[in-house]
Amino acid sequence: MGSVSTYFENVKNAAVTIFEGMAVTLSWMFRRPITIQYPDRTPEPVKDTLPDRFRGILEVHIPACTACSACARACPIDVILVETQKHPSGKGRLLMRFDIDISKCMYCGLCTEACPTGCLRHTPVFEATGRDIHNLVVHFVDGPVVPYKHKKGRPVPASPPPGDIVQALLKPWDAEYVAWSPGEFVERDAGGGDGEKGAASPGKVEGGATGSGSG
Amino acid sequence: MENALNKQAVSDDLMILNMGPQHPSTHGVIRFVITGDGEVMQRAVPHVGYLHRGIEKLAEGLPYPSFVPFTDRVDYLAAMFANHGYAMAVERLLGIEVPRRAEYLRVIVSELNRIASHLIGVGAMAMDIGAFTPFLHGIREREKLNDIIEELCGARLTYNYIRVGGVSFDFPQGLDAKIRAFLDTFEPLMEEFDRLITVNEILVKRCANVAVIDAETAKSYGLVGPNLRGSGVDWDLRRDLPYSAYPDFEFNVCLGRGFRGTLGDAYDRFIVRVQEMQESVKIIRQALDGLPEGEIKGKLPRKLKPAKGEAYGAVESARGELGYHVISDGTDKPYRVKIRAGSFNATSIVEHASRGLMIADLVVLIASLDVIAPEIDR
Repeated sequence: MGSVSTYFENVKNAAVTIFEGMAVTLSWMFRRPITIQYPDRTPEPVKDTLPDRFRGILEVHIPACTACSACARACPIDVILVETQKHPSGKGRLLMRFDIDISKCMYCGLCTEACPTGCLRHTPVFEATGRDIHNLVVHFVDGPVVPYKHKKGRPVPASPPPGDIVQALLKPWDAEYVAWSPGEFVERDAGGGDGEKGAASPGKVEGGATGSGSG
Repeated sequence: MENALNKQAVSDDLMILNMGPQHPSTHGVIRFVITGDGEVMQRAVPHVGYLHRGIEKLAEGLPYPSFVPFTDRVDYLAAMFANHGYAMAVERLLGIEVPRRAEYLRVIVSELNRIASHLIGVGAMAMDIGAFTPFLHGIREREKLNDIIEELCGARLTYNYIRVGGVSFDFPQGLDAKIRAFLDTFEPLMEEFDRLITVNEILVKRCANVAVIDAETAKSYGLVGPNLRGSGVDWDLRRDLPYSAYPDFEFNVCLGRGFRGTLGDAYDRFIVRVQEMQESVKIIRQALDGLPEGEIKGKLPRKLKPAKGEAYGAVESARGELGYHVISDGTDKPYRVKIRAGSFNATSIVEHASRGLMIADLVVLIASLDVIAPEIDR
């Protein structure tokens, strides 16, 4: 008798608990769904919903870069390549190359913390792709540039909204890979300018990032 | 070893079955070679190493602070603990004091991370047994936690948040209220989760009395964390070897009690995780209430060069004791970093615990141990 009652007790227990679980599942049918269809049916672009501290693809605002290489030293996996050279006039240095391999970056943020002027930063941009992985190396300098020199009491050159610089430099996904070659150095200012011109006029910002060598 | 297994199998008329490395219920890339007499296993031998990345060796070539992002990859479901253990070991090596506020922030993010990890743990266990819905409920709650942590440190999985000497960011405006709002909604949802799966008779019957690990065996295999507590051993680093700000908080250590069967069965380990989430909620509430003002990063020299010596820092991770043994030779790079992770020991007990188990129950055993492949291999 005892075993029979246990048997029916078990059956009843199983039916009740399963029904309870099903009731919970059913109740979710009438609640607001939390799933969002990405990427084409989001209410607003995902880029705009990200928090300020979001660590996306890196970008450099070259007119404010001192070419100190602190970021390259801080990077644990050598993603950043900074090349400098002596200025032809013998005074100061030239920033020859500033490459970030975004396919290799692990978005840890150590480089941005090392940057003294804050010109290197993470952006809300997170979508980048390419048929050729070498296209994901972003070259922030087209030709030799005179690095920024910070003067006390003078503000660091204002930078465009985060993401604009790197978004302009990202190649389309099916672009053919063309090896990078440095442009010619053009003296921007008489007297071996210390990048002061770039510092003084925020209008130079766009040019500094995309084609300072040609300008 | 495999040859030996084959020979024995042939002579004993046994069957060799291969499970993994690409199997949905091995939770990562682990391979099990099962020797079985029909459905009953003689043993299942875990073969590890598919996810070995040489993280310990990488540490030897990097300055002390630069290794922190790599520790994220030790345990990607609970990266805060991995950061914390390493930071603690280096802090002990350097003998630096961490500000109170930083310690409280560490506790808050760690416990949030524990909830996130356990949600996946219990959800994946239910999924392996055949109930898919609870897993989605777990993922849904974890997504909210990811959003909170993303707002705090900018990353959803590989946080790199707890650094040597403190933490990298302070709370942004309004995050405190967001965490409280999450906790308020999380508790009723946890009750709903219990109604959904924890009391479900099918799950209970599937897990109770299956894969029993008694206290002595658990201790001799070096099990830690919820797996050890599921066997009824009262051991929690947060209480027994207090670190960070944990002595300030009141919480219970959840133990397996043979809830619906034998002490130390798969269901006990499941319940311990469910209860630990509720304890974590308590700790977070206390930490938010008592969050002191002040610095978030201690005073550090520009270049970290600890004196010759060694230090061990261990935290109670979601998978138990996660310890870092750091040896310094006086330079700015560690001489050796040894990581002691709970999942490795949990995998090693599979061979013992699988004796006489049905093949279908191996999935329950692996899921109940909540092993995570990158932590086994590192």
